[in-house]
Formats: sequence, structure tokens, C-alpha cells
Amino acid sequence: MVTRREFLKYTGAAAGTAALVASGAEASTGKTHLDPERIGVLADLTLCIGCRRCEWGCAEQNKLPHGTLQSYDDQAVLKEMRRPDETRFTVINRYPAPAWREQPLDVKVQCLHCEKPACVSACIVGALEKNPKGPVTYDAWKCIGCRYCMVACPFQIPAYEYDNALTPKVMKCTLCSERTLKEGKLPACVEICPREALVYGKREQLLELAHERIAQHPDRYHPEVMGEHTVGGTSWLLLGDRPATEYGIPELPDQSPAILTETIQHGVFRGFTGPLMIFSLLSVLMKSSTDKRKPGQGDSHGDNRDGEDHHG
Amino acid sequence: MRSLKGTLAVLLCLAAAGLLAATATAQVMDPAHRNPTPAKTPTTASNCTDCHSCETPTHENPCLQSCRRHGAQFLGKHETDEGPEVVVIDQLANLYGPVVFAHKLHAGMSAMTGGCTNCHHSSPATGKVPPCRDCHQPTRANTDLRQPALKGAYHRQCINCHLDWSHENACGFCHEQADGKKVADAGQTPKKPGSHDPTDIVGARHPLIKATPTYTYQTKEPSGPVVTFHHEDHVSKFGLQCVSCHRGDSCRSCHDASGTPKEKRRLDHVTTCGACHAERDCSFCHSKGAKPQFDHKASTGWALEPFHRKVACTTCHGQPETFHKPDKACTSCHIHWAVGSFDHAVTGVKLSENHRELDCDSCHLEKNFAAKPDCSGCHDTPMYPEKLPGTKAPRR
Repeated sequence: MVTRREFLKYTGAAAGTAALVASGAEASTGKTHLDPERIGVLADLTLCIGCRRCEWGCAEQNKLPHGTLQSYDDQAVLKEMRRPDETRFTVINRYPAPAWREQPLDVKVQCLHCEKPACVSACIVGALEKNPKGPVTYDAWKCIGCRYCMVACPFQIPAYEYDNALTPKVMKCTLCSERTLKEGKLPACVEICPREALVYGKREQLLELAHERIAQHPDRYHPEVMGEHTVGGTSWLLLGDRPATEYGIPELPDQSPAILTETIQHGVFRGFTGPLMIFSLLSVLMKSSTDKRKPGQGDSHGDNRDGEDHHG
Repeated sequence: MRSLKGTLAVLLCLAAAGLLAATATAQVMDPAHRNPTPAKTPTTASNCTDCHSCETPTHENPCLQSCRRHGAQFLGKHETDEGPEVVVIDQLANLYGPVVFAHKLHAGMSAMTGGCTNCHHSSPATGKVPPCRDCHQPTRANTDLRQPALKGAYHRQCINCHLDWSHENACGFCHEQADGKKVADAGQTPKKPGSHDPTDIVGARHPLIKATPTYTYQTKEPSGPVVTFHHEDHVSKFGLQCVSCHRGDSCRSCHDASGTPKEKRRLDHVTTCGACHAERDCSFCHSKGAKPQFDHKASTGWALEPFHRKVACTTCHGQPETFHKPDKACTSCHIHWAVGSFDHAVTGVKLSENHRELDCDSCHLEKNFAAKPDCSGCHDTPMYPEKLPGTKAPRR
């Protein structure tokens, strides 16, 4: 997929840029390269009826294996909890009705497109990228199949084509970035949703809309919008009748896991201080040891080493 | 050595500075986390374009939007029976057949729980209530995130109540496909056959009503003051639909204005019961005491044991409207009885090797299974029932 030379180039470049540029900027200061007009999707789970049209629309758009639209009318699959995998980027899971509401909660599961994605941070070759406009995109040409993204994702979304021996890819929702950003269409799932439980638009406006709905129907909604703050915010925002931890979202901090790792790693290289320190220390040690040997027989040996260093 | 100490001191300083920088970095890494932004209060301010369609509205020409965007209000005063009887929703007729929406029926239901505003959330102070399509666009332009397009608007309105009432969300509940075929609904068709009858409020659309299995009425009829009505028998045994008796009901037949169910309601028994029992005399219903449930043997002299008990009345007698006595010949129903396909042991006699291959009518003359079997075709002396053409087996 990627030659050794290319790989070294990418990693070298990544390490270099990470150390010199990103270190001081994003992770540490909270500044963002994200577009203030970036897009997202608001999923009002209380409007979802589990018709699974979005599952079909997604599979159709992304050329994933799927049956007829009618075959998605089968509600029996909602009896089990499912996960997105390499054959489906999104699934609907049904959570039983709470005591105070007659309806169960149907929850659409897919990549939430974090604002500060752990998968992007973990990707050592830059195959996953956070588009400033919102979507977290994937470039199969750069991917080396290390699957660090799968480990890093706090929602365990990226899947891998283990059955594809020759050209396996990491598979996850792309927020239909081709359709949305280039063609100006709605994401396939949003377009097909018959109740407009999914609304596509600018993230800021969606948040406003979400809080408006909560204020209008405090009896219907849990007062927090999932994705506003969780793991530093996500492009997908979920509005449910109960806390997100009760519909499959793990208990997560308001900070991206990438912040911690990047702060440690980038902090070491901040202003090139770390390497400078180590190399200075080494040179001092070398110098002191050479100084000790000077009066004795060490001269010719030391010269040789110097010569080697220059070649290296 | 002195110079080495000096260098080391410089290095240590550098290291300390580096560490400080790293810790400082760690502390400021996420301002959003440290000072979480308070939950936003809803925006109450409106944009000019919410109400005005032009850039510079004047007193002379306020260019007001025909549809108020958000903060829409229902200002008119309307009665529920003002609206149309039926609304045909056919804006997406290329995909689905038109949905026939019983407007008046729904208006009646709404009247008990909040009136027109249950669905019509916006209406001017005077004039007609605007239909949904006046504001909700047929295509999804996604320009106003607050306003769903027409398809979304319909689905949001209808499904909310339908889910609460009948737990139905199958497309086929409302839609037919454009080619006239019913949309496949994955086995979610309403529970009772024939309940698509739009007048059948009680049976199909209404949440299930638990009727009393047996009603006993005291009447003034001297010859037989007690009338026993076995409701359960009529529904589960005789195959009647709710709408067979409860015709032309409206919500107000059973509920008062606030929606509370009324005490009890008596149907006009002459027209309702008489529809089926017109030819019967008074004693069919009126008696001195309560009547037992229907029993086939007591009423007709023919017990349904053992197999026919499982058969629905309608299988032999037809639908209630066309009730008839069935042909007594077993073969009128059991046309497939033949050698090899019928296990004779279920009758209590397991046939012996010799008898197993014989045609049914060798013994049951003219396939009259009700009559005594005849052995004289083969045997000189009369055999049955002293001797059996096999061995006894438990009747099943």
C-alpha cells in the first residue's frame, strides 16, 4: 500500500511537524484549526422511530452490502444490541421505554466525528484527518493497517476489513463528506429520515436548536446535549430522553483523550527543549570523558570517533 | 572542572524551565474543560427574516412572511367540525399512493385533548386555518433548521400519536405504494382482519378496549326478565368485528368533552341484535335466569369433540352475515381423505394389515362416515361392532 520510503517520509514529516508546530499550538493552548461554520448533525433520538431507513440509505451511499429498502422494515433486529462494523457504518439500537414515557428510545449509532479526534491523533501516518469543516475523513492510500485508531476511539467505532486479505481498509462513517462538502447535499441518512429526526447544519446553530427544544419540552428531553462537551465535543449531537450513559455512550470526560497524550508528547519537544537538553547533556558527558583521557593514550581513539560522527 | 559545573548548572536550569513549560501546558490544555460553558439559554431574539420577507420593511409595505417561522401562534377561533371531512395527502404521489386522512375524526379526538392546536400550531387571527403545505415545503431545502419539510412535518405529526395509541409505526399503516400494493409492513398489520375499515374506531385505531365477557341485563319483559349477552362469545367464537355492532361511533359516543370515558353505553338492541337474530322468538334472548355460554352440543345436538372444537365457527358456517348450516357429509370439507393419507387410528380403531389398503367406501358406503360401517361387501356374517377391522387405539 505504502512503500517503506513513503512511510518513513510520512512518519518523519508527522513527527517533525508534530514536534515543531502542533506542540505549541492546538493541544496545549486550546486553539483550534476548525472552521467556526463547521457542520454537524443533530439527532433527536426522541423523534426516531427505528424505521432503519438511515441504515439503508447509508449502505446504499457507501456501497456497502444491503438488501431492499423493504427488507429494512424488519424490526426484529432491534431486539439485539448491534454495533457498526465493516459492513455497516450505522445501526439503530432500541432501548426500553422508561417508566415516565411510553416510547422506547431508538438510538442511531455511528462515528460521532469528534472535534478533537483520538483516532486522528493516534494515526501515525495521517490517514485519518479532521476536516476543519467537520467530518473525520479517511485516506486508504496512507493507511498502513496498524489499527491504532480502533484502540484510540473512545466510542469503539472504526472497524477493519479483516476478511479482505489484500486491500483491507478501516471502515467508518465519513459524514458523507463527498456529498455534503463537495456536492452540497445532505448526508444520506439525514436525507432519508422520514421524521427529520436528523438535522444537518452548522454545529453552532444545531446546538442552539437543541437547547431550544430542551427549553420548550423539558419534560421530554434530558437537559444535556450529548456531544456538546463530551470528549471535547463532537460534530454529531444527540438529544435523548435520558442521560447518554443510559443509551450506550460510555462515561467519558469533557476532554479529548488526545489532549493528554499530545500534551505529554509535545510538551517534551516543546521549543525543542527536550532534545536540546538530552543532546547537550550527552555532549557535556562526552566532552568531560574526553577531557579526562586527554593527557593519556586516548587521543587517537577520540579522533577516530569524531571522524565517525561526522560521517554519520 | 569548574567549567563543567557551570555547564551542568545551565543545563539544570534549562531542564527545570522545560518541565515548567510542560506542566504549564498541561494546565491550560483545555479551557473549555476547566470552565465548562454554562448550558445555553434558548435564543428568544428573532431575526428580521422570521417575519419579514424583504430587507427593508416599511409601514406601508411590511412585506410580512406568509408563514411565521418560529414562535408561531394559533390566533384564530375555530370549531372542530369546521374542517374538511377527509384530507387526501398526495403531494408525494410518485412514491406512495395518497394517504386518506380522516380529518373530522381526528378533529373530534383532538377536541378532547386541546383542540385544533394539537396539529395546527400556526393560524392567523382571521380566516381559515392554513394547511400544513402552506408553510412546510415539499422539498427539503434545509434553509431553516427549525422547520421540517412537508414529509417530515406529516410524519412528526401523525406518528407521535399513532405510536402512543396503537404502537404502530409500519409504513403500510397509512401508505399504499404508488402501484396500489400495500407497503410491506413486516407482519405489523393491525391485529384483526378487516380492521382497515375506517369506521372501525374501536377495533383498529383505538387502544384495545377490555370488554366485559358477559353482560346480564334486567328487563321489564314479564315472560323472561333476564337477558344474557355473552360479548366474548360474539367476538372470539362467532368472529364478529367491533364494527359489526359498534357502527358510526365518534369519540363523543363514549367520552365526554374532557376525554373521560362515559359511564356505560347501551346499543339499540333491536337493530343491533336483530341484525342477526331477527328470526328468533323472544325466548332466544329473554329468560328467567342467566343463560350459559354457547354450547354446540346443547344447541344443536352435535358435539364438537374432539377435533372440531379447534375449528373456528366461520370455517363451517361462513361469515356471521351469511351464516348457514353446513353439509353434514364429512367429505364436504374433508375432500382429501383417501387411503394412505388418513390415519384411521385417530377414530379409535387402528386398521389391521388386511384393511389398511381398502378404499374408504368399501366399508363406509358412499363415504357416509356418520352411518355404521358395512362389512357385508367382503364378510358373510355381520362383524361390526362385535369384531373390529383392527385393534382398539386411543381416540385422539
